Amino acid sequence: MHIAEGFLPVAHCVAWYAVSAPFVIHGARKVIEQAKEHPESRLLLAAAGAFTFVLSSIKLPSVTGSSSHPNGTGLGAVLFRPPVMAFLSTIVLIFQALLLAHGGITTLGANVFSMGIAGPWIGYWCWVGSNKLGWHRNVGVFLALAFADLSTYLVTSVQLGLAFPDPVSGIAGSVAKFMGVFVISQVPLAIAEGILGVLVFRLLTDVARPELERLGVIKPSMSEAVAR
Amino acid sequence: MAHGLALDHAAWSSPWRSRSVRDKGVLSLGLLVAAISLPAWPGGAAVAVAGLVLLLGPIRVGWARLGRIIWLPVVSILIGVATVAVSVSWDGGLRLQLTSEGIDTAGRLAVRALAATLAMFTLACSTPMIDLLSALRHARVPDALIEIAALIYRFSFGLLESAGAIHSAQEARLGYATRSAAMRSASMGVAALFLRSWDRARRLEAGLVGRGYEDALRTLEPPRQRSAGFVAASAALLVAIAAGAVAWQVLT
Repeated sequence: MHIAEGFLPVAHCVAWYAVSAPFVIHGARKVIEQAKEHPESRLLLAAAGAFTFVLSSIKLPSVTGSSSHPNGTGLGAVLFRPPVMAFLSTIVLIFQALLLAHGGITTLGANVFSMGIAGPWIGYWCWVGSNKLGWHRNVGVFLALAFADLSTYLVTSVQLGLAFPDPVSGIAGSVAKFMGVFVISQVPLAIAEGILGVLVFRLLTDVARPELERLGVIKPSMSEAVAR
Repeated sequence: MAHGLALDHAAWSSPWRSRSVRDKGVLSLGLLVAAISLPAWPGGAAVAVAGLVLLLGPIRVGWARLGRIIWLPVVSILIGVATVAVSVSWDGGLRLQLTSEGIDTAGRLAVRALAATLAMFTLACSTPMIDLLSALRHARVPDALIEIAALIYRFSFGLLESAGAIHSAQEARLGYATRSAAMRSASMGVAALFLRSWDRARRLEAGLVGRGYEDALRTLEPPRQRSAGFVAASAALLVAIAAGAVAWQVLT
């Protein structure tokens, strides 16, 4: 769930655009560099962006009985790194706003910060941290996807809390209020997305190992490395 | 995804499709800025009325299609507005209450968000994504970035169709009959979709390189109608809305 069109006051819209802009510009530069060095990667990046966009059409079963859709940026952050996801998420959010009426143009800066910057970076740190601690790959994937999803909604709650402080309990009360609304659907969904990510990653390592090795997501197995 | 396709279909079939993106941008972005910067009453309400008249009049979206595309944002706005209206406190345990300040803020927020949504629809329902990307190319956004955005747009429709076909096939085999089967089906669907997008990108790359693809997939752009009169009328509408909102504030 993104912040809807027109929901934030003007000052907040401008501020979130200003905060997100350096990350998106950095990501765009990385994408341009990558496109110059490896022209073939443009199509793969576009495929990744389209995949993230289409993920929002796939319904996931949720513990509460309702269903929702995956966030998708956690998997993207593990596969393509967070700077690239900042740029790809911006395009995906523009498409979601103009093609699905989900999110908005005035709230794009805020939504990019939560879904394209905070979510991917926190998910990526979970993945890197888990690898450094020597935990099983599945644990890293689960944590990356679940925390990318959760942190996106945590940041969204803070953004809404800052914009609409509660008349009685202030900003803290408002943040807690928005978190309370999101927690009903997002905690089960984050767990479901983490489990889904583990299953997807296992399938990918079986059938798309060369691609994952080329992206540097997994190391080549010893026997294959020797054979090369 | 019906509402999503409805937005795209509306854009491609709009009588305003042939108008220049600059002209439509002045009107739609002007309405959007007015919606979030003017007081909700009467400025925001006036923007909402103007947006509705434009969508049902010259942009010819129609009530049925408008209903299909607006229900999702309206639900999002209602959830957010209800959350703003209710106040919480912890005096002797969790207490939920309605305050006049909360209700007032929620009311203004609902009008502003609805006005901004309708303003955004005036652009989304009259301008296909490809036209917007061409306009960005003319605004000197780097080719590589426009190229990736255009490819994401083109890939998305093929993948949406694949996602629908995969889901239908799994559903027909009782793939969503139980929670564990649904989780298994969803994961297999996502993995299949990822591999399919990867494979299509590789095959497209091979095909395009064989045809001399180096930097950009430029196509001929149909001529777009630029109209000083349209821009002047848009500016007049925006000035009238802003002046009316200011006059209302002064008089009341």
